[in-house]
Amino acid sequence: MIDSRLFKLPGIMGRAIVIAVLMFIQAIMVVIQARFLSQAVVNLWNLKPVGTIVTPTLIFIVSFLARHLLGVFQQRTFYPFVEKTSGKMRSDLMTKLFRLGPSVVEKAGTGSVVTMALEGIDKVQTYLMLIIIKMMDMSITPWIILIYIAFLQWKSALFLLVIYPVIILFMVILGLAAQSKADQQYAGYQHLSNNFVDTLRGLPTLKQLGLSKRYADNVYHVSEDYRKETMATLRVAMTSTFALDFFTTLSIAVVAVFLGFDLLDGNIALLPALTILTLAPDYFLPIRNFANDYHATLNGKNALQSVLDVLEMSEIDDRKALTDGQWRADSHLKFDDVSFTYDNMKTPTLKHLNFEVTGNTKVGIIGTSGSGKSTLINLIGGFLAPDEAGDMTLNGQSLPHLGQDAWQANQFYIPQNPYLFHDTLAKNVAFYVPSATRDAIEQACAKAGLTEWITSLPDGLDTMIGEGSRGVSGGQAQRIALARAFLDSSRRVLLFDEPTAHLDIETEAALKQDMLPLMDDHLVFFATHRLHWINQMDYVLVMEHGELVEQGTPSELSQHDGAYTRLRAEMGGAK
Amino acid sequence: MIRQMRETFAHDTWVMPYLRKYKWLLTLVLFLGSMTFLSAGALMFNSGYLISEAARRPGNIIYIYVPVVLARAFGIARPAFRYAERLTSHNWVLRIVSDFRKKLYQAVENKAMAIKQTHQTGDILSILAEDIDHIENLYLRTVFPMVIGWVLYLFIVIGVGVFNWAVALLLLILLGVIVMIMPMISVAVNGAREFKEKQIQHDFYTNLTDEVLGLSDWVISGRYDDFMDLQTKPIKQIAKLRREDHFFQWWRGFGVQVFFLLAVLTLLIWSGFQFTGSKAQANWIAAFALALFPIIEPFLEISQGASEWPIYQQSIRRVNDLSADPEVLTNQSDLKSDFAQLDVDHVTFHYEDDDRVILHDLSLHINTGEKLALLGPSGTGKSTLLKLLLGDERATSGQVTVNGQDIATLQNARASLFGVLDQQSYLFDTTVMNNVRLGNLNATDEQVKAAIKAVELEPLIQSLPNGYDTQVQESGARFSGGERQRLSLARILLQDAPIIILDEPTVSLDPITEKDLLDTVFSVLKDKTIIWVTHHLAGVDHVDQVRFLENGVFDMQGTPDALYQNEARFRRLYDLDRGK
Ligand SMILES: Nc1ncnc2c1ncn2[C@@H]1O[C@H](COP(=O)(O)OP(=O)(O)OP(=O)(O)O)[C@@H](O)[C@H]1O
Ligand SMILES: Nc1ncnc2c1ncn2[C@@H]1O[C@H](COP(=O)(O)OP(=O)(O)OP(=O)(O)O)[C@@H](O)[C@H]1O
Ligand SMILES: [Mg+2]
Ligand SMILES: [Mg+2]
Repeated sequence: MIDSRLFKLPGIMGRAIVIAVLMFIQAIMVVIQARFLSQAVVNLWNLKPVGTIVTPTLIFIVSFLARHLLGVFQQRTFYPFVEKTSGKMRSDLMTKLFRLGPSVVEKAGTGSVVTMALEGIDKVQTYLMLIIIKMMDMSITPWIILIYIAFLQWKSALFLLVIYPVIILFMVILGLAAQSKADQQYAGYQHLSNNFVDTLRGLPTLKQLGLSKRYADNVYHVSEDYRKETMATLRVAMTSTFALDFFTTLSIAVVAVFLGFDLLDGNIALLPALTILTLAPDYFLPIRNFANDYHATLNGKNALQSVLDVLEMSEIDDRKALTDGQWRADSHLKFDDVSFTYDNMKTPTLKHLNFEVTGNTKVGIIGTSGSGKSTLINLIGGFLAPDEAGDMTLNGQSLPHLGQDAWQANQFYIPQNPYLFHDTLAKNVAFYVPSATRDAIEQACAKAGLTEWITSLPDGLDTMIGEGSRGVSGGQAQRIALARAFLDSSRRVLLFDEPTAHLDIETEAALKQDMLPLMDDHLVFFATHRLHWINQMDYVLVMEHGELVEQGTPSELSQHDGAYTRLRAEMGGAK
Repeated sequence: MIRQMRETFAHDTWVMPYLRKYKWLLTLVLFLGSMTFLSAGALMFNSGYLISEAARRPGNIIYIYVPVVLARAFGIARPAFRYAERLTSHNWVLRIVSDFRKKLYQAVENKAMAIKQTHQTGDILSILAEDIDHIENLYLRTVFPMVIGWVLYLFIVIGVGVFNWAVALLLLILLGVIVMIMPMISVAVNGAREFKEKQIQHDFYTNLTDEVLGLSDWVISGRYDDFMDLQTKPIKQIAKLRREDHFFQWWRGFGVQVFFLLAVLTLLIWSGFQFTGSKAQANWIAAFALALFPIIEPFLEISQGASEWPIYQQSIRRVNDLSADPEVLTNQSDLKSDFAQLDVDHVTFHYEDDDRVILHDLSLHINTGEKLALLGPSGTGKSTLLKLLLGDERATSGQVTVNGQDIATLQNARASLFGVLDQQSYLFDTTVMNNVRLGNLNATDEQVKAAIKAVELEPLIQSLPNGYDTQVQESGARFSGGERQRLSLARILLQDAPIIILDEPTVSLDPITEKDLLDTVFSVLKDKTIIWVTHHLAGVDHVDQVRFLENGVFDMQGTPDALYQNEARFRRLYDLDRGK
């Protein structure tokens, strides 16, 4: 029911103590309220004049109001803590997302990450608000009431005391069952959002395949599965509420009947009897409230768990190990027997890579599809960490990985599939340098060969692009990513993963003229399938099946017969 | 408010139809709900009477026998009714919610091609995660408690009215404040706040999804502060609104209690006058004084339910808007005979929101079995032309026909006509096997494996721990760029359609894989008609015709050989492409 990490939340204990005190006073108010209402009723029952009930009624009114005011105060005392905690959790989650990067999204799925940050935290908020106050209520109020009842008639008190553990027992049994169901339900919920996002993103493809209509059933099934999971949890939760309701209501009825017999026998007077009867529902109220919100609580608990799980995921640490992240003419990067294995794989994807670069070099990376070019670039960029620390050396410093703040601040990366944000064209281009001037943006676009297209747009640079707005062609998307690189001249290390794949030959040739000067005084890693770039490279790495099979200057490589010459032959072979 | 309600439901297809369809079930839920609280009230009423009567020590147990039995009966009835009510209502609501999700998907699907331009993924995700939830809560939190509350209200007022109409009138007013006035105040004061909160949350959804999809760029840019700024603003706004909302709710709850207290006092004082005529009558005092307490619960919920109305209203509007005016496909028919020819007849085209003419009076004729390569600078409209061929966009003037039939009338037969690999082909978060099989759901495992083999992925897939059951992850993130593309291509190889449209199928492939793959594609698909968009000339010998699209017209065309002989530009490109 309670995640033990809950108690580690900062500030929770102090608040809980204040709540406990308020709760205690509130319970006393409940007793007073019942006592004096009964007093008034008994006076009337004894056919005393209406005037005699004025005092008890006034006390009843005051205690009634005090009770509910105390309720408001409890919420008010506790809410700031909840607000602060859930707000902090949300921003921690965002920070974590930023720190962990896309890998966490790849694993968890976009839909579930987003819903976790929004719906999930909302559920946590509800949970925090419910759990502490209700638990306190349950552990204080009934006992005070019970003690008072014991003063009035120990027999009723004993009955109420005996029935309590039975109820709790039922709760526990059913709660355990509901718990496992709720876990499934939460997983089902994440699956549902992931499935939906996945389906939405692939909708055009489904349409092409003629399956989009039929996929509605898939959506329905996933949703039905979720419904069944939810219903299963709810059924258990409701059954537990029912059992609880049943016992408590019946207990009240039994108490009433017992009291009736005792009155009949003259063992008790009406006033204590009526007080006990009025208090009986209040005795059970806390546990009943708790059961009523049980389902919401379970949901919240699961959400809290998954949020905490993400928050506790280990980030790449030692991000600050690197002292000198600059890249100068004499800088030096060395890979010494570097291997890399993806989490879900047994065999390494990159095997024993060795190479060195010094100063502003242009390094081409070529190799067959799936040979590990993108993985290598990710390693250089520090988005992945090698299997063993210490195999990489930068500027003479041996590092566990290249995910160094100082190194990353100095690099620029165009991934294989750049993403366009839902924003204006200008903002998309200036994504890496938000402070760029309009002129600079225009120049960058011109270098990327976008000017002609941009002038044809009604809103020019202010046109909204990305998801949910105007479509752009494949090559235009890629050139927008390139424009980002042209804009940012301060970063000395450039990582390009097939930056021109989507361009036609002529556009590419024109672009090459502008890209070459950009690459000149930089360290460049350039993965490409277009081999004409190789002539412009200072050094070439040839990958095959995760191994670095050849390296050297282009002319060295063309000297001997190897992977490089085979690839080249393929290009020049036809016609 | 009433007018607003009417507007909301005027063209509604999401709420009213379900209310109508399930009116008996709903009546049952409301009946069970009302009975729950009536039993609870009756239990206290009865118990109050029981012990008052017993306190008179009537001498014989028979006098309290009936109340004793009744006490047990009500004691059992209350939880039983409640259980039944909750099971029925939740089961029903969840079931229609499943329907809603499907409906939402279908609404989106209807706009499949245009939806990318009008909606963001996060937008729809928030409709799924929030709006549909809201409609679920509309019933559970607003409709049911309100109606039940009103039923109880009427019951109490009429019940007391039997004894004394003046007191009944007083209760009518006091409880009326709880069930009518407070909800109205809630809507007025808090409704706007809740509405605004949800609005922010909705935008938050949309933006956060965009940011998560582009997360790698955020990370690389190192703009941590900007990223956090984007989040903190809505987080703060929501927190502020929610705080005010909660404060309001607590004090309103307190207000309800105050009026409730007044009602209890009214009953108490009234019974002090009414039932003090004789000792026997006085037994009713306790009954009336206690009966009201269990009934407070639904009263407390009414106001909250009401103040959530604006949220529901907005959700209902949003889902209705989404499903409004779906693209109607008129006069759909099947292709009368086997595919023989595809014609583009003087087509001119510009996108609806844009005046720039992308295709000028373009004509093209393709016979069955012909292979065509389409080239042209980036952004000239190659992909656009393909969209026109498929009927995803309609020509501004001119016509695209298959065997003389307008393509717009063949939309239902599309999948049996075209196999398409477009620039953004998508891999779903399921196994390799399932993904490839999407090309043809009837394909056997062997056929799927053969297709995977044809795209040269067999050794890789077999080397994976889970082989063909490897999960590809969202958008195929588990695989390299070229591998993803080949998996999509394998899908097309399985698809049994006469026309195959390939938009840059080999863009992320190295020259060796590319050549092998093109050889395979053209031999596997040798009987089919192929329209192939490409950026370079590798493998161009496989085709019968080459077309260069530039500035909206074909400015070079012919067989590859003829072009090489006659066109200097073509020769130059050819050489550029070979790395010279
Ligand atoms: N997240 C992942 N988990 C496991 N294996 C992966 C993952 N991403 C990539 N791989 C595998 O690692 C290998 C190398 O992938 P990588 O993306 O580096 O290739 P690449 O050389 O860039 O290929 P391409 O030219 O097709 O883009 C591939 O076989 C791929 O299937
Ligand atoms: N939905 C749209 N609304 C408005 N304009 C669009 C839309 N989609 C594409 N365009 C524009 O239409 C032009 C042609 O785009 P298209 O995608 O057909 O180019 P393409 O020839 O396929 O280019 P590439 O080789 O780069 O993929 C581009 O200028 C593009 O910006
Ligand atoms: Mg790659
Ligand atoms: Mg295109």
